Amino acid sequence: MPTITIFKQDLEGLLAGPGEARQPMTLEQIEDSLMLVKGELKGQNPDTGELRIELQDSNRPDLWCCEGIARQIRVKRQGSLPKYDFLAPKSQSLKRLNVTPGLEKVRPFVAACTATGYRVTKDGLAQLIQTQEKLAEMFGRKRRTVSIGLYRLAAIEFPVTYDLVKPDEAAFTPLGMDTAMTLGEMLLVHPKGLEFGGILSGQDRLPFLRDAKGQALSFPPIINSREVGEVRVGDDALFVEVTGTDLSMVVLTLNIFAANLADRGAVIEPIEVRYPYKTDLGETVMTPQDLGRSRTLPVQTIERALGQALGVHEVAKALVAYGYEVTTAAEQVTVTLPLYRQDLMHAMDVVEDVAISRGYADFLPVMPSQFTVGGLSRIEEFSDRARALMVGMGFQEIISNILGSPQDLRDGMRLEGTEWGQLVEVDNVMSLNFSALRQWMLPSLLRVEAASNRAFYPHRIFEAGEVARPDPAQALGSRTVMVLGGMIAHADAHFSEIHSCLDTLFYYVGQAYSLEPVQHPSFLAGRAGSILSEGKRVGVIGELHPEVLERWQISVPAVAFEIDLTQLAERP
Amino acid sequence: MDISSLIDSLHPLEVKVLSTFASNPSAVLQTEQLAQSSGLEPSQLSMAVEWLLAKSLLAVDTEIVTPMVSLTKVGESYVEKHSPIERVLAAAREAAITGKRLTIQDIQSREGLEPAEVSGAIGRLKKEGALLIIQGGCIESTGRPSPTAEAIRGLLQQVHETPREMQSFSDAQRQVIQDHAVKRGNAKEPFRIDDRVARSLKLSTAGMEAAQQLSKQGVLEEVSQLTPELLKDGSWRTKRFRKYTISLRAPRIAPGKKHPYREFLDTVKTKLVSMGFQEMRGPLVETEFWNMDALFMPQFHPARDIHDVYFVKEPKQATSIAEPFLSRVAQAHQDGGATGSSGWNYPFDVARARRLVLRSQGTAVSAHTLAAQPAVPGKYFSIARCFRYDQVDATHATDFFQVEGIVLGEDINFRTLLGLLNLFAREVAQAKEVKFLPAYFPFTEPSVEMHVRHPKLGWMELGGAGLFRSEVTLPLGVTVPVIAWGLGLDRMAMVALGIHDIRELFTDNLDLIRSTKGAL
Repeated sequence: MPTITIFKQDLEGLLAGPGEARQPMTLEQIEDSLMLVKGELKGQNPDTGELRIELQDSNRPDLWCCEGIARQIRVKRQGSLPKYDFLAPKSQSLKRLNVTPGLEKVRPFVAACTATGYRVTKDGLAQLIQTQEKLAEMFGRKRRTVSIGLYRLAAIEFPVTYDLVKPDEAAFTPLGMDTAMTLGEMLLVHPKGLEFGGILSGQDRLPFLRDAKGQALSFPPIINSREVGEVRVGDDALFVEVTGTDLSMVVLTLNIFAANLADRGAVIEPIEVRYPYKTDLGETVMTPQDLGRSRTLPVQTIERALGQALGVHEVAKALVAYGYEVTTAAEQVTVTLPLYRQDLMHAMDVVEDVAISRGYADFLPVMPSQFTVGGLSRIEEFSDRARALMVGMGFQEIISNILGSPQDLRDGMRLEGTEWGQLVEVDNVMSLNFSALRQWMLPSLLRVEAASNRAFYPHRIFEAGEVARPDPAQALGSRTVMVLGGMIAHADAHFSEIHSCLDTLFYYVGQAYSLEPVQHPSFLAGRAGSILSEGKRVGVIGELHPEVLERWQISVPAVAFEIDLTQLAERP
Repeated sequence: MDISSLIDSLHPLEVKVLSTFASNPSAVLQTEQLAQSSGLEPSQLSMAVEWLLAKSLLAVDTEIVTPMVSLTKVGESYVEKHSPIERVLAAAREAAITGKRLTIQDIQSREGLEPAEVSGAIGRLKKEGALLIIQGGCIESTGRPSPTAEAIRGLLQQVHETPREMQSFSDAQRQVIQDHAVKRGNAKEPFRIDDRVARSLKLSTAGMEAAQQLSKQGVLEEVSQLTPELLKDGSWRTKRFRKYTISLRAPRIAPGKKHPYREFLDTVKTKLVSMGFQEMRGPLVETEFWNMDALFMPQFHPARDIHDVYFVKEPKQATSIAEPFLSRVAQAHQDGGATGSSGWNYPFDVARARRLVLRSQGTAVSAHTLAAQPAVPGKYFSIARCFRYDQVDATHATDFFQVEGIVLGEDINFRTLLGLLNLFAREVAQAKEVKFLPAYFPFTEPSVEMHVRHPKLGWMELGGAGLFRSEVTLPLGVTVPVIAWGLGLDRMAMVALGIHDIRELFTDNLDLIRSTKGAL
């Protein structure tokens, strides 16, 4: 979900169209209109007109810019989208971009166009740069699948070549540097080379964009040349290029730039890309290009999904007012997305656009009418019962993070190298404090005890909750188990005190148990037992080992038990 | 306070003392006399007297302070084994007889005395001329007597067992006592000088009145506690029960109770069950398949990044994923399969699907339910612990609860979705005003965000919902429309619990947990 910055006056200008008077809007009107683009106003500066907008739809990169937002609102206001004229080239002799063999194994696709007649403004330049960054970052997966370059057209001589060179074969002065360096050097020292070099790792030849004179344009997807690859306010002729690994995404990205620049008044001229290898669009590909395929669907599908009878006409009207091209027949519509969108995967995507175009407020909520019976899972019921009994015995419930540290869960319990100390650990650790799932409950209780020596005694606390235990017999390598842990801590805390609680608990959940002495490192020897029920180990009880208390810096004795609710609940 | 309520508030000990004066209200009594006639222990008596003085029922008539000399523990031990000065002198005299040389160290070790005791004794004996210190640190008896040693011996005998008035001793003796009495910083002395206070006490005017009243009302024995014995023999009828000062603060107790956040979640749980929802559960460790693939999140989706989800260290992958779901979901991703979708158009990686993660969204539980032949019509919910790769701060927790669920039925559509959300708004947030906004979730279409006007919080986002995409439902074997919904309740919970930091929901502070009142 990208968050972008736009300027109110720029938005108003784009709503009117090039050469027309701005259409002022209030903030409320803007907020309302943002419903059309799944946008939310996150912040604004009334002095500069700056608006911070979060766009939710990760499948609509065309909306991640001021031009796209303005376009969606404008289309709705005008009722339809005027057709972009650059798809049918005016001149017979198109500018060309030649692709070098071998790129199919490195970064196969490129799309490009020129834009002239729009003098770049400050706001316009800010949008161009922001769009370039957001699209490459979020849509282009950090430039891996799509990256974009903008250039000053005047300095470029066609045809341009999308070349493949050895790291030391080409050199130029990149943006942000004062001296020329080879592509290999850029990967080693340029900040962008360091950030994005991984995309090209393992390649012995690198993508390189140059013009007919051999002048360097850029090293895609890393960095542009400082000479021609830095667009400035006042420029009125641009060259736009997109490279990447997915042809339709590359073309879509260029389409979005072409539409954006056209909306600002630029004349877009397509460029012919010639590949030495086959692509889904052939070996000669003109870009921008409308990749939209039409889709026919019964109006009934839409009506049923929306729960509202609308009729062909209303459906078509809503879609046209959302930018679609629509033809109608009896009880069905054939729809095509505008060239800056490719997110139509399923009929339901059309359904949502009908709803958004009409406005969600247009649909009257109805209660689902069918009867269903509610209820809790067996384990939840059982756990609720055990919790109520613990509360009745004077225990305060606590609630803890399930993620903890091996230090607390294992070492602090003297369980290093034991079966009780086995943990499900996190691979990509962010903080050691949250790097393993708790395998039992007592560390959670000790966490509270350790922090609460000022709370008056006695302390009687419990928690019922999930733990995860490694188990190679499971497909997931671990089991999630619901357990209950209870602990008593005060100056005279004694085994029999916690034993009484355990005994009472088992009595009231209607199950029998017995204790069997156990050597468990967390407890004092001779004062700990396995809890057995129907011949199975279902828990442990004992006086906490003084060394455990010392490690947790607890200064009073503590006695505790833990039982496996999942096992007990499964019994009839 | 009037006299009768004053009498009511008297402690039994005070009553005893006052009653001693009953026969002669104007008597002036010595403390000893009071002790005798009231029959109280000295400590009880002095307590009662102090209370009565404070209440101005009793007054001091005269007060005589007499310094008394008694032996300390050290002094008592000197009676038998003699004081250091005596022992040093005796040792010196013995050495004079046997002709042995006697060093200070010899005395120290033989007599088991502290260096300070020995040097103190030698210093005084030398001053009195009873000892000489000769070359080599040896001491020698001069044969002359030591007045101090003799005085101490006499005093030890005289004061032994019975304290005596300081006044009864001669000036010289008093000097010795003063010199050898315990003082601050020197506790190892044989004598102690204490002030004995002899008071004579009389009743004040109010005291007389109280005493009279007491004798008039007859003495019902006052008791503090009703006992089984009093009930058994009916003798409670002849007792008076001491009144309590009930305005005092009650002693604090810590009751057993639910955790307030848990209580909040329990309430939500109960509401959902009452609306016909069945609870579902799932594992904490999930495959990417159920956590994301089954929800039609493409494998290149940014939210599947290493910076958004926790991956499991060992084992890294599940051994298997149930068919036919794996192949059907893979197909849906690749080209839509039989779902009517064009799919994401990328090669689906089965190894990636088997990767193990910590469940990052409760919707994973819904996906399992869809694959397990759910009831149609059916309503399901879960309150599932989820994990996000987030830096922990006041608004981000690393593990948290998600309240989520699904509704299946032939009658499910966009409008019934809105109807269900309306119901949640009313039942869970007590909100009457609701706003629906278009939203985006990878697994629903159309998608809705619900904002409600909460009675306390104003407009807030309550949750997100949508109709599951066919790419989600069909591969899992569900052919009816399905609502997927999720509620964001943490903010409501935090307001209900009066906290501002999400970390406090899981606080380790027992005092805070004990003192937090319940929610809702």
